[in-house]
Amino acid sequence: MTVVVMRLYIANAAPNSVKAIANLEAICKQHLPGAFKLEIIDVLEFPKRALADGVLVTPHLSKLSPSPAAKIVGNLSDRSNVLHALGIKE
Amino acid sequence: MPRGGGVLGERVVNGRSLRLVKSGPELRALEAGQVDAVLDPATGTAHLLPAAERALAAAGAPIVNSLLAALPREDYQSLLGELESVTLASGQVLHEPGERIRHVYFPNDAQVSLLIVMADRKVLEVGLVGREGMVGIALALRAEASAVRVLVQGSGSALRMNAASFREALGRSLPLQHELHRYAYAKLIQARQTAACNRFHQVAGRLASWLLLTRDRVRSDRFHLTHEFLAATLGIRRVGVTNAATALQRRKLISYQRGNIRILDRRGLTAASCGCYEIVRNLAT
Repeated sequence: MTVVVMRLYIANAAPNSVKAIANLEAICKQHLPGAFKLEIIDVLEFPKRALADGVLVTPHLSKLSPSPAAKIVGNLSDRSNVLHALGIKE
Repeated sequence: MPRGGGVLGERVVNGRSLRLVKSGPELRALEAGQVDAVLDPATGTAHLLPAAERALAAAGAPIVNSLLAALPREDYQSLLGELESVTLASGQVLHEPGERIRHVYFPNDAQVSLLIVMADRKVLEVGLVGREGMVGIALALRAEASAVRVLVQGSGSALRMNAASFREALGRSLPLQHELHRYAYAKLIQARQTAACNRFHQVAGRLASWLLLTRDRVRSDRFHLTHEFLAATLGIRRVGVTNAATALQRRKLISYQRGNIRILDRRGLTAASCGCYEIVRNLAT
């Protein structure tokens, strides 16, 4: 079973960050039950790390594996776009 | 409380945000309002956009408006980015009848009157909005324009949201829809009762009811209202207000001096009221 490894960069409990977390959780529950690993990083706490990872705005979702790596920015409300970026067929 | 009126500040910060974010998906997300913070490689720091900063600041503050307080936390937080804190001044007109509603308001301690203006310029108050409600309920019911004159009666603070953001928020929040529909029904009950009251009840009893409703709304036995305001509220001449108020004072139910009203005997005032106060209070809460 392929495990999708992701990192979501957010800004504390700011509105788009809250939406992004909720949207991503719904997607994982429906399309990747038990088959994902998600790390959430608050850029307000770790800005340098986020910059080192190539993050410019938040929310920012990085797919680390399986390859190819991918990224998507915004509040993740466009489900088709997110699924496409994660390489998941709808 | 969210910081208000930072239009110049927003332009400056957004100017910087746009300089940091030059192209591609990041720029598109920024322009779509889907970004909370921007990172600056030169300084190694993160900068919150103004809307996100306001939302975070407000998230810790107690929610005064009852409609907003009744929402699930998640739904309230999703509104915060679009809510702006404003101060409403007594005498300020927020909407005229027939005007498109550009903003909705959720009062904190401000008090707002809804008035019908007749062709012969007579004015009648047909509703009151305080922390228990919102101004602009028409938008929640898919109407576009105000049917009444909306006049600030007691200065204070409120949270304001523009019409487009409000429509969008309604679309995504079922709890918000439910709260506002419930509120709309309460206003309908109040309006019907007011119609019967205006037609049949005596001025002194109506004044007593109205003072009790105000007391509930402002949560204090003391408030300030001129005879003129009360005359417009009750749809009578000023001298009628003076007579009715004097009668209530003589019975030691209220004191009323230079516009300062103090309720001295709430039970007595309730007994002197026309009964509509209790009907509205029981049905609408």
